[in-house]
Amino acid sequence: MTRGGPGPEGGRGGREGALHDELESWLSLRTDELIAGGLDPREARRRALIELGGAEQVKESVRDVRRGRLLEQTLRDVRYAVRGMVRSPGFTAAAVLALSLGIGASVAIFSVVRAVLLRPLPYREPDRLAVLLHRGSNPTSPANFLDWRRESRAFAGMGAAEYWVPNLTGAGESESVRALRVTAGLLPMLGVSPQLGRLFVSGEDEPGRDRVVILGDGLWRRRFGADRGVVGRTISLDGEKYEVVGVMPRDFDFPVFWAKGRELWAPLAFGARASSRTGFSLRVFGRLAPNATLAAARAEIASITAGLERRYPGTNRDVTVISLPEAVVGDIRPALLVLSGAVGLLLLIGCANVAHMLLARGAARRREVALRSALGATRSRIVRQLLTESLVLSVSSGVAGVLLASAAVRGLAALAPAFLPRVEGVSVDPVVLAFGVALALATGAVFGLLPALDASRPDVAVALRQGERGSSSSVGRMRGVLVASEFALAIVLLVGAALLARSFLGLRRIDPGFRAEGVLTLTVSVAGTAQAEPSRRGGFYERLLESARSAPGVRTAGMINHLPIAGDIWGLPYDIEGRPAAAPADSPFATYRVVLPGYFAAMGIPLRSGRDVRSSDRSGAPGVVIVNESLARRDWPGESALGKRISFDSEDGRPLWRTVVGVAPDVVRSSWTEKPEPEAYLPYLQERNYLERPGSHFQYMTLVVRTEGDPAAAAASLRGVIAAQDPAATVSEVQTMSHVVADATADTRFYLILFAFFAAAAAALAGIGVFGVVSYAVSRRTREFGIRLALGAGRRDLVAMVVGESMRVALAGSAAGVAAALALTGLMRGLLYGVGARDPATIAGVALVLAAVALVASWLPARRASRVDPRTALQAE
Amino acid sequence: MKTPPGPSPPPPSPLLQGTLDLLILRALSTGEMHGLGIARRISQITRGAFDVKPGSLFPALYRMEERGWLASSWGESENRRRAKFYALTRAGKRQLRTETAEWGRVALAIRAALETP
Repeated sequence: MTRGGPGPEGGRGGREGALHDELESWLSLRTDELIAGGLDPREARRRALIELGGAEQVKESVRDVRRGRLLEQTLRDVRYAVRGMVRSPGFTAAAVLALSLGIGASVAIFSVVRAVLLRPLPYREPDRLAVLLHRGSNPTSPANFLDWRRESRAFAGMGAAEYWVPNLTGAGESESVRALRVTAGLLPMLGVSPQLGRLFVSGEDEPGRDRVVILGDGLWRRRFGADRGVVGRTISLDGEKYEVVGVMPRDFDFPVFWAKGRELWAPLAFGARASSRTGFSLRVFGRLAPNATLAAARAEIASITAGLERRYPGTNRDVTVISLPEAVVGDIRPALLVLSGAVGLLLLIGCANVAHMLLARGAARRREVALRSALGATRSRIVRQLLTESLVLSVSSGVAGVLLASAAVRGLAALAPAFLPRVEGVSVDPVVLAFGVALALATGAVFGLLPALDASRPDVAVALRQGERGSSSSVGRMRGVLVASEFALAIVLLVGAALLARSFLGLRRIDPGFRAEGVLTLTVSVAGTAQAEPSRRGGFYERLLESARSAPGVRTAGMINHLPIAGDIWGLPYDIEGRPAAAPADSPFATYRVVLPGYFAAMGIPLRSGRDVRSSDRSGAPGVVIVNESLARRDWPGESALGKRISFDSEDGRPLWRTVVGVAPDVVRSSWTEKPEPEAYLPYLQERNYLERPGSHFQYMTLVVRTEGDPAAAAASLRGVIAAQDPAATVSEVQTMSHVVADATADTRFYLILFAFFAAAAAALAGIGVFGVVSYAVSRRTREFGIRLALGAGRRDLVAMVVGESMRVALAGSAAGVAAALALTGLMRGLLYGVGARDPATIAGVALVLAAVALVASWLPARRASRVDPRTALQAE
Repeated sequence: MKTPPGPSPPPPSPLLQGTLDLLILRALSTGEMHGLGIARRISQITRGAFDVKPGSLFPALYRMEERGWLASSWGESENRRRAKFYALTRAGKRQLRTETAEWGRVALAIRAALETP
């Protein structure tokens, strides 16, 4: 097909066009023939057309022939490719491993990212839902909520929700249920229908009509055996009767942040609380009115709260409106984006690795290709065959990658700590999967094609003579660039991993202020039992504490209302004796802790000065309080806090003073890294809220025991001790403090594990890359080494030369990587603790490690260069 | 419909499977020609026994080109029409020799079989 002429090939429609032209040409030739035979032109044309027997039919038969050929050839190419892969298992394994690792890891991470960040929340128009938060991320008061709802026009609906942990009794053993009290309009506002029964209707959040309840799917299955007749039945919560009116669907989860895993919803009736501006317990949600924007809603809420703040100073400061999706994933987004970036880098490294392996192989096979070309194979035929080989490689990697990804997604879902929202039920995302496989195929196609085109260039004679040495320098340069890029990418990943590792070590060095080892905690609730009576509560917990102390294996025990880190954080304003009472907004705040004697000893918190609370610190005796160092420092800088008096509440207008009898060290409060805040510990037996108030949130305490041996082993005997006091009391949140501490650093550990894995894979791939390129270069240059040796070069010189050449590539890549790391690690700032994002020591260390990898990876094959026997080398080829 | 007057030629025999390739190779052994020329040439060398229709000719030509027996190029016919010309490649010439030898053996064998009483 080399003869010139204005052929239509490659013109309109390529081969199909050529076939059409050929049939046209046949028609005119035949018509000419028939005219010459004496027919008139029209009749001749007609006869010729009939003979052709329908041009389309002819074309179809030709196409059939081609398709059959193509299929047959492709099958043969695939068989040939598979045989080739099996013949060089090292190459195949390295390439498939590199690519499938990249595909598997990135498909898994991107699947999680899509599930967490991009999948819409399971509500109607979730983008139109918003959260109103008070003082940053805190709840607000009932009066505020009612005012906002009344005055707002930008929100079509507004609802509030409040924590509730009632005791569910009857039908099996009693159980603390994670529940939520909600205003009647909240669930309908979400636009989710119940799977059974109905949602709350307007008016059911009035006192007296609020004894109705909606079950979550999990609770319905666990406690009611998925009985469809449950609607209309009565259940007992905290000793009160509630009628079940509905069951929510299986995938329903609300709220999706701050209090996940709620299984029961009951109406929120404010009653007398409706006018309270000081009890901050409500989360407020709203749905934007049809033509309102979030910005308009923000502006409106800002003006409403400004008006309320003027009327009730200190009650409406700093109210923010954020969209619900933002509230759900806002904190986690930067971390996930950094992970996506990291895994993307890994995928790129994998692709680069396969790419230069294919290039190296393509070059090595130049002679084979030239031979086939001389034997009459067309260029397109050879290119197609080489391309098939690389595609078989990428398809195998794709398949391995998919398997890896589905395993990794399961692993991630299991490994992902509670902080990762919406990770339940995440699976391999088909879109992401398609993308990963497409990328693998593209890598195979592009980098399979380059050497194929290069190898099949027409100058067969040159290629045959030169053999492998003849590979073009452009491909050689490209391999250098690819290896350098691998190093650059690996540096970025390793720096990220090293920074996270240093952060994690830093976190582990933080002194939480208590000794977590050997401590077991159990939350004991009396809500709904006879022990909840105000006259009996104090006695119950005192007796429980006494018997816990004498339980086997228990060294010491105490109780607190809210554990550090794992427990709730309640704040309380107070006045200081001798100082003028401040306006409510400006009065000092302390975290409100309520303890029974022995808590500090059991937690391993050595008091700085003074004493622990005693059982004699009870109602009627002089009020006492223990404060932490932050509070003491803030209120009495430079003096001893002991003997000073503060007041949290008043009676008949007179403050009830409490004398500071002890100063405790600062203890980690809620999140592991936040700075300490003032805290006050009040004796349980002197705290009327806990002794008398209704509401299940005042009716539980957490038992803290320090044990002799394994704390988890003491759980069973302690449950027995509690049941012996009152079998109706419920036990929940049984956990060791070590577990609580591990949870608190779980997010950093999670990122560290992933990054470490990516970075190790990246370093390994970069090493393999250098090893492969250097080995190939060494084998290609055997003859050259022979000459050099013959001319008197030392063997060490040869090794040094080879290693030096590859180190230049690796160092160029590393330099680029360091620059990239400096530019990119700033994105990780939010994940780091106690180390700068551009920590020079870390970056230098990583660069050194990778340089060592490059050194070893090039030295190993370089040694072979020095073992060349000059005579053999010169005779070869 | 009326039958045309005069004696009609004997109907061409259906081509044996595999024979067409051999005939095309043979037709081209004297030099390159276009599709219609090949059909004419086959008709001529088989003394009119085989009339190759385009429906079987072109698929065969494409198949043989794919196998590397034929090479094609565009050129101009004797009466200055553009046409695609086919020529034997080296592989095609080898194939012609192989198939001719094969055919000779088969033909001998069949004749022997038919003549055995």
